[in-house]
Amino acid sequence: MFRSQSMIRVELVVPEHDIVAVTESLAESGTFEVDARNPGESSVSQANAWDQQATVYAALAQRISSVMELLAVDAGSPPAEALRWIDPDTVARDVDTIEREVKGPVQELQDARRKLESLSRTRSQVVPLYGLGVDLQRLRNTTYLYVILGSMPVDNVARLQASLEHIPSTLVRFGERDGLATVILFGMKRDAEILMRAARSAYLTVAELPDEYQGTPAEVLEALEEGITRAREHILSLEETLHHLHATRIRRLRHLHWRVQASLTLAQTIAGFRKFRYSYLLSGWVPEPGVERLRRSVVAVSPETTIEVAQPTVQERAVAPFQFSNPPLTRGFQQLVTIYGYPNYEELDPTLLLTLTFPLIFGVMFGDVGHGLLLVALGALLLSRRVRALRSMAGFGTVIVACGVVATLFGCLYGSLFGFEDVIDALWLRPLEQTTDILLASVIFGVGVLTLGMGFNVVGAALRRRWGDVLLDRNGLVGILFYWSLVGLGAGVLNAELPMPVGALAAVAFVTAIVIWLSERLKPLVEGHGFKRADLGMGLVEGFFELFETVLSLMSNTLSYVRMGAFAVAHGALSLVVFILAEMVDPGKSIGYWIVVALGNLVVIGFEGMIVGIQTLRLEYYEFFSKFFTAGGRPFRPLSLAKVEGR
Amino acid sequence: MAIGMGVQAYALTQATVRALYVDLLSQAQWEDLIRAPDYDGVLALLSKTVYGATLQVDRSLLTPRRAAYQIRFHLAEVYAKLIRVSPSRARSVLAALWHHYEVDNIRVALRGVEAGATWDQVLHLLYPMPRYVEVTLAQLEKMVRSGSVSGAVNVLKGTQYHSLLDHALTRYEEERSLFPLEVALDLGYRRNLWDAVLGLGKQDRETALMTIGMVLDIDNLLWALRFRVYHHLSEAEIINYTLPMGYEVRDDDIRLVARGGDSAQAVFRAYPELRESLRGALFSTGEELGKLEQALLRLLIARCRRMFIGSPFHIGLPLAYVLLNEYEVRDVTLLIEAKAARTPASAFAPLLLTPQA
Repeated sequence: MFRSQSMIRVELVVPEHDIVAVTESLAESGTFEVDARNPGESSVSQANAWDQQATVYAALAQRISSVMELLAVDAGSPPAEALRWIDPDTVARDVDTIEREVKGPVQELQDARRKLESLSRTRSQVVPLYGLGVDLQRLRNTTYLYVILGSMPVDNVARLQASLEHIPSTLVRFGERDGLATVILFGMKRDAEILMRAARSAYLTVAELPDEYQGTPAEVLEALEEGITRAREHILSLEETLHHLHATRIRRLRHLHWRVQASLTLAQTIAGFRKFRYSYLLSGWVPEPGVERLRRSVVAVSPETTIEVAQPTVQERAVAPFQFSNPPLTRGFQQLVTIYGYPNYEELDPTLLLTLTFPLIFGVMFGDVGHGLLLVALGALLLSRRVRALRSMAGFGTVIVACGVVATLFGCLYGSLFGFEDVIDALWLRPLEQTTDILLASVIFGVGVLTLGMGFNVVGAALRRRWGDVLLDRNGLVGILFYWSLVGLGAGVLNAELPMPVGALAAVAFVTAIVIWLSERLKPLVEGHGFKRADLGMGLVEGFFELFETVLSLMSNTLSYVRMGAFAVAHGALSLVVFILAEMVDPGKSIGYWIVVALGNLVVIGFEGMIVGIQTLRLEYYEFFSKFFTAGGRPFRPLSLAKVEGR
Repeated sequence: MAIGMGVQAYALTQATVRALYVDLLSQAQWEDLIRAPDYDGVLALLSKTVYGATLQVDRSLLTPRRAAYQIRFHLAEVYAKLIRVSPSRARSVLAALWHHYEVDNIRVALRGVEAGATWDQVLHLLYPMPRYVEVTLAQLEKMVRSGSVSGAVNVLKGTQYHSLLDHALTRYEEERSLFPLEVALDLGYRRNLWDAVLGLGKQDRETALMTIGMVLDIDNLLWALRFRVYHHLSEAEIINYTLPMGYEVRDDDIRLVARGGDSAQAVFRAYPELRESLRGALFSTGEELGKLEQALLRLLIARCRRMFIGSPFHIGLPLAYVLLNEYEVRDVTLLIEAKAARTPASAFAPLLLTPQA
């Protein structure tokens, strides 16, 4: 649980004719991560036909996706059966057919929509002229007058008028809609070209009245309405055709989509393999329990393939992927760890520690039976996946349930129920009344958590056999001793009873401080490499400042935990404010009072719950994790042919 | 009172600008860059400047075009930093100014569609705009992949650019030229920028006009002159294709140019300080217009530098700083391209704006 699933290095020499089958089998196993690093020297250039294949599949994928978009078909979920390579010519034939079926109606639909839009635009241009008792066609056919009817951006009207200052003309503006003004420009026929160029440069779109739309604006409008109705009917019938195509082609399109995507990934993956004259060399990582199954499945499809399995070397372990091996219930906490970073392959996984400490810290700050139970209910709702909008957060359901349970327990300890402090007895203390006690308890808790983190660091270093770090690191055994001696001295200042004299504690603190100061010089000595003498002066200066920083960070890390107690107090105080407000609104404590109490509780849960959650995360990430977790690793990403966008 | 409020509002902005100011290339660095033996030499020198971080790309991929693309990331960072630390009204003006690159990106995407270019061909011609954008990179990709200009315009639905372009689409369909779309985009963007400046408080508005007003004036004046010299447009067309507003360049100046009057009179009325250096110019040839553009931009850069003298608690400081950066990036790009093409320093150095300014 604390370590990565053990990773094995696997190298396969695959005959050229089996490469597709073997790669498919590796992807199907879901346990093989391709090592993208150069696996060794080869005799043949890596450039091969698979790059070209990938280009062909990428083009096909693009065409399929265009047709899917035209028919509003989504990709759906990846098919349950294993995805296999598909012949590009077969796909091309299928896509050609579907494209032919689809593109005609789509083009027709686009034209019909454009026509509808044009008619609607003309209608909106003519509507403002409704009362005009003049035949529009006759207006255009005048002998001396030149008339332009159309619409133009409102912003350009004044500029057009200005631009025609020296040309005899009149611009009449009628109505305005969607930033466009309907206008009629009158001028002399001899100035027609100037007027038209000016109008066009002002983006005046001339209203094109087809021959069938003649007469006064009222008559034209009537004819336009009929035209619009016909266009709408035509659009509806085309949409029905496309709907039918959608229903009959959806399965085929999705099938092609997934197969082509799989073939594209396959081609790209194979293009990245090292190619020899008649074979390919594949190397990668496989979790130890999956090795035998992988071997069997590969041999089943390619008996000639040679598989070499080896434990990773020290250098390889440094770049090996990390795979979690935690129980399913801790997945939400695991997600919180991965937000911070992935553990290095040789590093300890902090998920379990986070699972224990996160709800505890949260519960201390948010102790209330009612609020805790509501959180449990919210967590359960997330886990049930019943609300579609919350499904993406289902992974955090366990985190919220755990936080809710501990908050409920602390609610019992504090005697708090929906902010009421007089309904149940406090089993331990009431934060609002015993502020000093809760703050002190928080610091003691912090000392415990930090010591746990340092202890975890010691165990991790011991497992990696870095004895220098085990003994002398500032978060190693000496560090723990130094920290506890400082804690003891601090307790002494507060007149606490100590198990040993203050002088002895000071001596321990002094000696351990010296060791930490010199730790970078002494570590090689412990690990059998001799005392590090190079740059001694500079090293000592750096060591001193590191010691100084260690003292400061230990103090600040410890005091950071005071916030636990402070938030417990704030939680009670906020509830108190809710009751004061409720009494101000309704001193008689009838319905108004309870509405304010209910709303106030919701605000406390939503607003304070979020802040407490952030503070808990902060304490975990910055105070706790910094003691042992470098997060310099990377996740195990097995080869898969079913790539889902956005995942 | 107003000064006190300015100090409070712009304290963080001016501190940030002051801290960033040292990142501008010094005269000595420019001299080294101009003297660099070749393109690799320029890259080596740039790697030691503020542009070093943006050029951390595998050398085999760092073609001159890619290098020019990479260094623009620096400008994106500068804008993002200053937008973040500026008070809200100044932020909207800075963001509006920053959107000038968004307009350029839309223009590039439309040209890509028109030329049938692939997304990969278009990508590195774009200005990298990771933040404070209305049109995302994904939308630009969708525009290019749409395959048609009307489809590309459709992608912009919901942005301020859609209606501008939509109104010009009919003309595009008729003329099959991007000219009406680009002009509509340019005019609409600049109107919005002007409105953003007018939305500022009195003191900030006056200061902002000294820089942004001049930027808009330069564009407007050069448009009018180019429409007349290169495109031979009619008076009415030139007026419709230019802005009705201005800071030092008045609408009368634009109309004078549009109706074929004495262009020099319009230029020197607005910028009397150019009368000596451009004496005798009629602004009727491409060469003269090039010289005028250089002179106007140098004037703008000098004005931006002057913003750093006197009280710094106003919008002028961040605006001047981003403009100085813009012209520096323009110059570095020019230098990269010149060195890659093995152009002698005597040919390109006079075109650089920031070193001599």
